[in-house]
Amino acid sequence: MSDTTLDRPIAEPPPVSRRQRLVDALDERLGLKSLQYPIPAHANTLAYSLGGLSLIAFVLMVATGIFLTQYYNPDPAAAHESVRHIITGVTLGGFVRGFHYWGSMAMIVLVGLHLLRVFASASFKRPREGNWVIGVALAALTAGLFFTGSVLKWDQESLEALEHNIEIGKLLGKFGFWFSDTFGGIPLLTRLYVVHIAVLPALFTLAVAVHLLLVKRHGMAPSPFGDRAKDSGPEPTRPFTRHLAELGVLGLVLVGVLTLLAVLLPPVHGPTPIEGIEVTKPPWPLLWVYPVEDWIGVVGILWATLAIFAALLVVPLVDRSPELHPRRRLPVVIGAGVVVALIIGLIIYAAVRPVASHISM
Amino acid sequence: MPGTSRGPRLLSAIAVAWLAVAALATPAAAHEGEESVPALTQVQVAVAILRTQPELVDLAADRINDATEAEDKDGVDIDRVEQAKIALEAGDMAKTELLLEQALGACPGQPVTNPAGVRARLPQTPCPTPAHELALGRVPLHGAAKPTLLAIGAVLTLGGLVLTRRIR
Repeated sequence: MSDTTLDRPIAEPPPVSRRQRLVDALDERLGLKSLQYPIPAHANTLAYSLGGLSLIAFVLMVATGIFLTQYYNPDPAAAHESVRHIITGVTLGGFVRGFHYWGSMAMIVLVGLHLLRVFASASFKRPREGNWVIGVALAALTAGLFFTGSVLKWDQESLEALEHNIEIGKLLGKFGFWFSDTFGGIPLLTRLYVVHIAVLPALFTLAVAVHLLLVKRHGMAPSPFGDRAKDSGPEPTRPFTRHLAELGVLGLVLVGVLTLLAVLLPPVHGPTPIEGIEVTKPPWPLLWVYPVEDWIGVVGILWATLAIFAALLVVPLVDRSPELHPRRRLPVVIGAGVVVALIIGLIIYAAVRPVASHISM
Repeated sequence: MPGTSRGPRLLSAIAVAWLAVAALATPAAAHEGEESVPALTQVQVAVAILRTQPELVDLAADRINDATEAEDKDGVDIDRVEQAKIALEAGDMAKTELLLEQALGACPGQPVTNPAGVRARLPQTPCPTPAHELALGRVPLHGAAKPTLLAIGAVLTLGGLVLTRRIR
C-alpha cells in the first residue's frame, strides 16, 4: 500500500435526511424496500388495476361494515327497526349505510370487469390456471357477500330473497340443511349475518392472500394489447411501489365517487317484510336470474348460477392454445360475448317486465 | 372492410336470438286459476302490494277482486274486502289497506302470515306503527353534513383524477 493512499482523507458520508432515516428504520424492520421489485409498465394501466381496486373496495366494505355492526341487530324481530335507527338516529349512519351499499355495487362491477379483463387478455393461461380458479372463487364469494348483505336490511325485498334461499336449500335436499329455518335453533337471518360479517370476509381474505401470492410467484401476466405486444424488445419495467401509489390514487377516486353517490342517491329502505308473498324484484346484480325463474321456476336460479360458475371454472381447460390476443381466440371470445350479452339482456328484460310470483304460496 | 362489419352483424344475430328466446318462453303465470287461490292469500298479496309498490294499484285491485271471487274464503271478512274495494276505487289507499288488514283480523301493520321460524312474531299489543309507514324510502342527509360530504367527495374524485394523470 502506498503512503498516498493512507494519507487520503476519509470521505464524509452524505447527510441523511430525517425522512430517509425513518424509511430505513422501517425497512430494516418491515422489509418495505422488497416491495420495489420491477413489474411491467402495462400493469400501471386502469385495466390492470381493476383487481387492486376490487381489493380496495373490499377494505372499504370492511371498514364501513364494522361501523354498521355496532348498531345492527340481526334478530328478525328487531332487524328492520335497527336499520331504521341507523338511517335516522345514528350520526352519519345513513351516509355510512349508503357508502356500504354503493361500495358493494362497485365491488360487484369491479370484480366482474377484472374477471373480463383477465379473460380478454388470456391471463388465465399456463401457468396461471390455478390462480384463475381462485379468482372465480373470489367472484363467488363477492356474490355471496352481496346476497347476504341484501338480506340483512330486512325489508320486503330482503325477506323474499331469503324465502328463495330457503326454497333453493330445499332443492338441495340433505345438502341444503344449513338453509333450513329450523337448523341450529337460531333464525336464518342471524346465521346469514354471521356468514356476512365473519365467514365470507375471512374466506375472501384468505383467497385474496393466495391470489396475490400467486401473482407474485408467476409475475404480472403479459398484455396482448398495445404496441408492446408487437415489439420484440423487453417491456420497460416500473417498481411495484409505483403501482401501489397509482392504486392508492385510484382508491381516492373510488372513495370520492362512493361518497357522492351515498349523499346524492341514498339507498331505499322498504317496509317491514310480510312472508309468503312476492311483490318485489331482486337488486340488479341478481336480476338476471329473475326471468330464468319465470320460465323454469326456482330451480332455475340454482342451475343458472351453477352453470355460470362451472363455465368460468372450465375456461382454462377449453382455451388452452398459447394465443393471447382475443382475435386469435375467436370461438371462446364469441362464446363469452354471447354469455355476457345474454346476462345483460336478461337484466334489462327483468327490469321492464312486471313482478311475478315464483314460490308457491 | 369485412372485419369491421362482422361486429354489428354478430351483435344483431345475438339480439335476434335473445329476443326469439324471450318471445317463445312462457312466463310462469302467477294468475292462473285465481278462483282456486284462497281469499286469504289474495288479500295478503293485495296488502303487500299496497305497502311496497303502491304504484301497482291495478294489480292490487285485481287481487281484491280475485279475493271476493275465491272459492275458499276461510279466515277472511269478505264484507271488509268489499269495503276495501270501494275505498280503493275512491283512491283512499290508507283506508283500503286498513280495511284489508281488518278483513284478515290482523293487527294493522303486522305481518299477516308467519311461516315457521323465518321471522319471529312481533308482540301484538299494543299494535305498532303500520308497516307501510315504516318504509323509509330514500332518506336524504340534512344540515351541514350534506354540503361537507359533497365537497369531500368532489375533492377526492377530482383530486384523485388529477393525481392519476400526474403520477403516470
